[in-house]
Amino acid sequence: METSLAPRSLGRPGFLSDARAFFAVVRREWTIFTRYPSWIIALFIWPLIFPMMYILTARALSGPDGSGLNIFIQTTGATDYIGYIIVGTTVWMWQNIVLWDVGFSLRDEQMRGTLESNWLSPTWRFSYLLGHTGPQIVSMAMFIGVTALEFGLLFGVRLNGSVWMLALMMLAAIPAVYGLGFAFASLVITVKEANAFVFLVRGLVMIFCGITFPVAILPGWMQSFAKWLPQTYLIHGMRAAAFSNAGITELLPDLIPLLLFGVFWLFVGYFTFLWMERRARKTGAIGQY
Amino acid sequence: MSDLAVEARQLVKKFPARPGTGDKNPTSSSPLPAGEGRRDEGKKKRWQFWKKEPKVMFTAVDGVDLQIQRGEIFGLLGPNGAGKSTTIRMLCTLLEPTSGTARVNGYDIMKQANEVRRSLGTVLAGERSIYWKLTGRENLEYFAALYHIPPAVAKKRVDELIERMALKDRANELVEKYSTGMRQRVAIAKTLLARPPILLLDEPTLGLDPQAARNLRELIAQLKQEGHTILLTTHYMEEADQLSDRIGIIDAGKVIALDTPEGLKRRINQKEIVRLEVSGWQEHIGEKLRSLSEVENLVVRRQAEADLWEVNMQATNSRTLLPKIVENIGQNGTRLVNMNIVKPSLEDVFIHLTGKALRD
Repeated sequence: METSLAPRSLGRPGFLSDARAFFAVVRREWTIFTRYPSWIIALFIWPLIFPMMYILTARALSGPDGSGLNIFIQTTGATDYIGYIIVGTTVWMWQNIVLWDVGFSLRDEQMRGTLESNWLSPTWRFSYLLGHTGPQIVSMAMFIGVTALEFGLLFGVRLNGSVWMLALMMLAAIPAVYGLGFAFASLVITVKEANAFVFLVRGLVMIFCGITFPVAILPGWMQSFAKWLPQTYLIHGMRAAAFSNAGITELLPDLIPLLLFGVFWLFVGYFTFLWMERRARKTGAIGQY
Repeated sequence: MSDLAVEARQLVKKFPARPGTGDKNPTSSSPLPAGEGRRDEGKKKRWQFWKKEPKVMFTAVDGVDLQIQRGEIFGLLGPNGAGKSTTIRMLCTLLEPTSGTARVNGYDIMKQANEVRRSLGTVLAGERSIYWKLTGRENLEYFAALYHIPPAVAKKRVDELIERMALKDRANELVEKYSTGMRQRVAIAKTLLARPPILLLDEPTLGLDPQAARNLRELIAQLKQEGHTILLTTHYMEEADQLSDRIGIIDAGKVIALDTPEGLKRRINQKEIVRLEVSGWQEHIGEKLRSLSEVENLVVRRQAEADLWEVNMQATNSRTLLPKIVENIGQNGTRLVNMNIVKPSLEDVFIHLTGKALRD
């Protein structure tokens, strides 16, 4: 048999190479995202449509002269009921989009057939999930920006607090919101279908976290349950930062649990991913679609 | 460094069967590549609430041994469902063997999975393995980063492969606008990016038009000249015959024969292959022919486009067989259109070994 010198691999493993691979995933995701032009329509329409449902309901319930709003202000302490609702619905939308988008990211790759070809490379596999998150965070920031812009222009909603404190609250929520997304992505690739779980999680956020009402009006057991959901702290903290001019000291009771939940959910997300990866090697789940 | 590029010892892969399925042709949602697997009941137990139910297992690969030399093209030939893809998936670390061991480029597939992946270029899903919403160039740049190629080297390598794969004019177009053959070329280019010493090509010409398949076979031959070791799975016997230095014939998860193409064919040199083309074939004629003492194996395949049946017989003595064929065919509307005594092909070897055709 004829033999010749085997080719020498061009790959150079190392931290820098892994970092470049991660940024390649981010770039790929962003490029593909922008090649579906429908995202622009979604970006401008969704921030208006969802909160409008609650805002119009609030107007109807407040009576023809809007006097009912005074009761709402007494209950919530919020002077701007539209801003109050927008914060809640934005957090709900954020978690909802993360569950669908990050949660189904690996599944989408699996159905396209590209998951295996990624998995065949020597790149750290969690990069695929982390890399998907980068563009998602950017698009979500745009979503929040458009929400603020549209409601500022159309309804005169004004920020009465520090934009930095608001940003801090949202940054602190990223580990918890995306950690749940990571765990979810790993489960979806195993069970293939998880619509029921998305509906459950967003239903819990909708009912228990007070997206349009204060948690204080819930029965005691529901308030106790709400304390176990990071979105409760995020919504409360964001409202305080945006409309009550709360500083870092006032925000700490929301920030600390949010960060602790973040550590917990990142841990759960990462280890669920490792479990899924191991299970997929045994069952061949990566190649199934 | 070991002389062996790939070495597998007693590789076994079993999958749990989906509840209620008992067929050998799982759907795309099955853990098995299409069609692979054999029932193997009662090997494991699982709890269903309070009672223990036997868990049905499928054995997709059943004790495969392989030793592939460096610089060799090794063909793994077998019908759909024989266990070829599952074997490749274990070698490229996508699947964990149920038992057995394998080393790729000297690295253990279980303990040194990353080193194994660095040593391999693998084509699995062909055109589906790349991003259709990226251009050909963007795909290659992306995978170059995943394979840890430094940016300056990657840029040069991407240009080189675009040129080599004749994609230069359309490298900046979205892959969704490419033909199947072009997409397959991007998929192959992707596997060559890091210049891996070993290439695993799973049915690389599947779905390609004859010209594209011929071009790809030429490329595979060139890659061997450049020193790559290639493990090629195929169910096209001509492809295996033309390209491979050695061929392993795999059926029902086992390697049932392993030799050079000529060596395999020599095994049945003493047999004569009688090939008939018949119109109006009737099954009872097949039974009559099978019962003849000169006939060892008989396989019938319909040629739908010509409305004919091709009948392949392995015979011990064609001289005494031919009059009996003429006697049996030519009744009740059945007509003998053509008859040849031919050299044995790999498919005849497969029929000899298994009693069935490769593309049954």
